[in-house]
Amino acid sequence: MKLKHSLFTRRQFLNGLLGGWLGALLVSFLYPVAKFIFPPYREPEEVILPLSNFKDMKPNSVRNFSWGTKPGIIKKTDDGTLQAFIAVCTHLDCNVTYLPEQRKFFCACHDGWYDENGINISGPPPKPLRQLLVVIEKENLILRKEGVK
Amino acid sequence: MSLRNIKIEMLAWFEDRLGLSGITKFLREKKVPQHRHSIWYYTGSAILLFFCIQVITGFMLVFYYKPTLEEANASVGRIMTEVPLGWIIRSVHSWAASFMIALVFVHLISIWLTKSYRKPREMTWMSGIFLMAVSLAFGFTGYLLPWDDLSLSATKVGTDIPRSIPVVGVWVTKLLRGGEDVTGDTLTRFFGIHVCILPVFIFILLAFHVYFIQKQGISLPLRAEVNKEEVKSLPFWPNFIYREVVVWLVLVGIIFSVAIFLPPSLEKEADLMAPAPEGVKPEWYFLFLFQTLKIFPPKILFIHGDTIAVFLMILAGILFFFLPLIDNKPVATKGKVITLMAYVFILYAVVMTVWSLW
Amino acid sequence: MRRKISILLCACFFIFSFTNFGFCQQVVPEGKSEITQVNKSSEKIVSSPKDIKERTNIYVFVAWMWLAIFVLLYIFRQKIKEVDRLYHLEFFKSDRK
Repeated sequence: MKLKHSLFTRRQFLNGLLGGWLGALLVSFLYPVAKFIFPPYREPEEVILPLSNFKDMKPNSVRNFSWGTKPGIIKKTDDGTLQAFIAVCTHLDCNVTYLPEQRKFFCACHDGWYDENGINISGPPPKPLRQLLVVIEKENLILRKEGVK
Repeated sequence: MSLRNIKIEMLAWFEDRLGLSGITKFLREKKVPQHRHSIWYYTGSAILLFFCIQVITGFMLVFYYKPTLEEANASVGRIMTEVPLGWIIRSVHSWAASFMIALVFVHLISIWLTKSYRKPREMTWMSGIFLMAVSLAFGFTGYLLPWDDLSLSATKVGTDIPRSIPVVGVWVTKLLRGGEDVTGDTLTRFFGIHVCILPVFIFILLAFHVYFIQKQGISLPLRAEVNKEEVKSLPFWPNFIYREVVVWLVLVGIIFSVAIFLPPSLEKEADLMAPAPEGVKPEWYFLFLFQTLKIFPPKILFIHGDTIAVFLMILAGILFFFLPLIDNKPVATKGKVITLMAYVFILYAVVMTVWSLW
Repeated sequence: MRRKISILLCACFFIFSFTNFGFCQQVVPEGKSEITQVNKSSEKIVSSPKDIKERTNIYVFVAWMWLAIFVLLYIFRQKIKEVDRLYHLEFFKSDRK
């Protein structure tokens, strides 16, 4: 099919080439810049803690630990089992605290409440607290990401 | 509604409110002379290119750098090892500093030799001298920030030099160091100077420098002016700008290639109590001054050798600053002597630099 | 039709640039670890790519960068010839009257 007129002029073609290649070069510089500015967030697969630090816990009491850069709470239930939660509110990321008298987790930022198993019961939090798998191996308390065997 | 129409309408919207067509008209009418020394006209914009690269890489580094005694070295180490491609950004920042200062020297020498500072461009030269001083200050303050052995020792020496000036010297040293000695306070102070104070100065000076150039136009070679020769010229926009972009592209390619294949390392963390490491030296652009200080004897008659050396350097700086006023008869013998002085200065700087590396 | 072709070409440039470096990573598993501390460097740290993949990506990037620069130099040469010719023809002079 032969066209009667060119789609674009030679000047437009040259300008298009110039803009295209300049744009491509700039984008190829921007990508490493973006990688630098947004570093990947590294979350641990598991955290190993000495069991001795948690043996003497009373039922319905908590101790803190670190899950990478996030705070964690280890709670001893009434029947003596240990539960581990990531102590970050699922609403807007504030750190939560455990109130033993009320048997609830509480987020002071926007009055969010979770029950003793971390299930959201009142206030703005949309989801329960993230719970980690607790495994006791010899003298170690091993906390693993949910779903990891 | 095609893209082209959108573009035209947007430009018309801004034109109605800002009248920017005055600027584009000025840029189209601005002429750049073309002669055998025109190549030196590219040095100014090349300096600006490297300065922009420094600003951008500096912004990025400041996201991760921690300017305290305990964390500075480790944070630079983290940038180099943990942050994705951090080592490239740091390398580009380090190399672009050297390239920029090298170009500042070339630009200075080219203006000196072509006597472009003659009337009416004296203030352009003077603002340029201040710009050079600020660029060197950027280099000096930035050198300390990795807080390694070498940079600590170089900063101790560098900040001790003003002490040889009688009366005020001690206060200058204290101002730079944030105390009697180089400490963590010096590091934080240098960081503040490097990222807050010096950028403000450089933007103000740059505004004046560029304004003067636009106001007075690009200078002609002395011979052309004296003989009232007809010199060919090109419009700044778009002819000269396209040529400048070509130069920028090549420089960008060179800086990234050099930064990727010759990245700087990070020495171990500075120890304030340890003896100075061997081979203490400042960055290459201070080496000729460093060597000058070394060759002066401890005492000349009853005055400290250091004091005389520093005074001579200050005197040289003042003479540099007032060069357009001193060289007010560029065609006469005085003018020729000043041109010769430029070559003497280049030779002196090169010889001293090479000697210090021996 | 013209717009579609130009969008397709832009997309090709973007994809070429992005695939050089792999795609953006989100959460990267760290593996078994204790709480990590900031290591004070007691020895020299040498800058270098992390692994062979990063090294290869960097070589590809440098090659691409120089290719783009040379192509742009050629295009700019044509542009410079064009604007110089227009200037010598005094093409724009009438605009300023």
